[in-house]
Amino acid sequence: MNSFKTLLKNELKLNFRNMNMVIFAIIIPVIVLIVLGFIYGSKPAAEGMEYTFLEQSFGALCTISICAGGLMGLPLVVSEYRERKILKRFRATPVSPTKLLAVEFTIYVLYSIASMLILFLAAVAFWKVRLYGNLLAFFGSWFLTLISTLSIGMMVGGIAKNTKTASMIACILYFPMLIFSGATLPFEVMPGIMQKIVSVFPLTQGIQLMKATFLGLSVSSEVVTPILIICVITILCFGISIRYFKWE
Amino acid sequence: MQEAIKVEHLSKSYGNLRVIDNLNLSVKSGTVYGLLGANGAGKSTTIECVLGIKKADIGTVSILEHDPQKDRTHLFQKVGVQFQESSHQAEIKVGELCEETACLYKNPTDWQKLCREFGIGDKLKSEVKNLSGGQRQKLFIVLALIPNPELVFLDELTTGLDTKARREVWKMLSKLKDEGLTIFLTSHFMDEVEVLCDEICILKKGKAVFYGTVDQAKEQSGCTNFEEAYLYFSGEEAEAE
Repeated sequence: MNSFKTLLKNELKLNFRNMNMVIFAIIIPVIVLIVLGFIYGSKPAAEGMEYTFLEQSFGALCTISICAGGLMGLPLVVSEYRERKILKRFRATPVSPTKLLAVEFTIYVLYSIASMLILFLAAVAFWKVRLYGNLLAFFGSWFLTLISTLSIGMMVGGIAKNTKTASMIACILYFPMLIFSGATLPFEVMPGIMQKIVSVFPLTQGIQLMKATFLGLSVSSEVVTPILIICVITILCFGISIRYFKWE
Repeated sequence: MQEAIKVEHLSKSYGNLRVIDNLNLSVKSGTVYGLLGANGAGKSTTIECVLGIKKADIGTVSILEHDPQKDRTHLFQKVGVQFQESSHQAEIKVGELCEETACLYKNPTDWQKLCREFGIGDKLKSEVKNLSGGQRQKLFIVLALIPNPELVFLDELTTGLDTKARREVWKMLSKLKDEGLTIFLTSHFMDEVEVLCDEICILKKGKAVFYGTVDQAKEQSGCTNFEEAYLYFSGEEAEAE
């Protein structure tokens, strides 16, 4: 456990020094919040709605840092460590691949938590956003979105041949998910056929869940299927990333 | 005397290229063993196969009575490794790299003291990438010694070091050997091999062409100088002409 803490501390320091994640997972979401805040302020999401546009978008805002960490940060750092032969050096030590992956995983969980807290505090302070739904249910759907996205990233990082492949796969996953799953472009404005297509992204399901739980909308029984899909994807990706982990 | 490393009938090919051909090694506990050979003779691949990092095609390896493929976590508590290419995170500092390495072991040594002994004690806050070649080489020897190992693998241990630094490293290693450490090294410096190694193996295109002591090598080749004896066995002399 001690080695986990030391590794986490050092890797976190290195990650900060690199600044990429600070920008993409902390600063960018805040900028998007500010922009949305200035445009929509405390306007309702639609005519006659009791919740505001910002409140409706809050869940999606939280996923920006989840995407940055899970689909960019995590796969790239793991594949970079493999390419730079850092993993080879670890191979000749007693550390287990599970522990190394867990350390990197935890880093991006921490970024996502930090991002969510900052967004929430800022949104409450400046635009009087409030949570209509159940706090635990919201956390639950946030957590589900987080681990499913990170598990995809871990699988990509775990099995990609080199940094180039990893970054290519990361881009293919990152940009469509970020743009089309409702994180930046609201799901509601998409045409019906597009909504159907983007529904296959676990992130889309996650955002819909987070929105419903944040706004306290009645969660229909249809929610069971997306939760199940997300869980299966998560377990599958974790399993693959550990089973097929490559040191070199 | 106990055997620290036992390698039997080790062979490894990359495609059609046979890199190691039926290699047998036996390294006794508490001795220094040198694996010699030209660039591309198969030294690094041998080390990687012995450590279980690469899978040999055939042959058996036992290190400190462990199977390196199956018993990795136990084995590497007792074995330190310095690879030929030094790999580290892009912006990591010396102290951080040492700390990160030390935390992986049950009984790590005092790495700050070790850094001071190797003359890089004032560099702990420097970034590893800003060290000179010699300082970096010393750092990676330090990393290999952090686990308080019973056995240490040093691949080209003094490449990049100046004459004085090489002698300092020899002195440190001799001291550690007196304390019971087994050392498996590769080197291109025959003076170093002569000073440090109890036994050597010379590789030529993946085949062992000589096993024995430095004196035996001189005797068998009829050379008075060990470097010439090495060239005689490794066949580099003939190819150079």
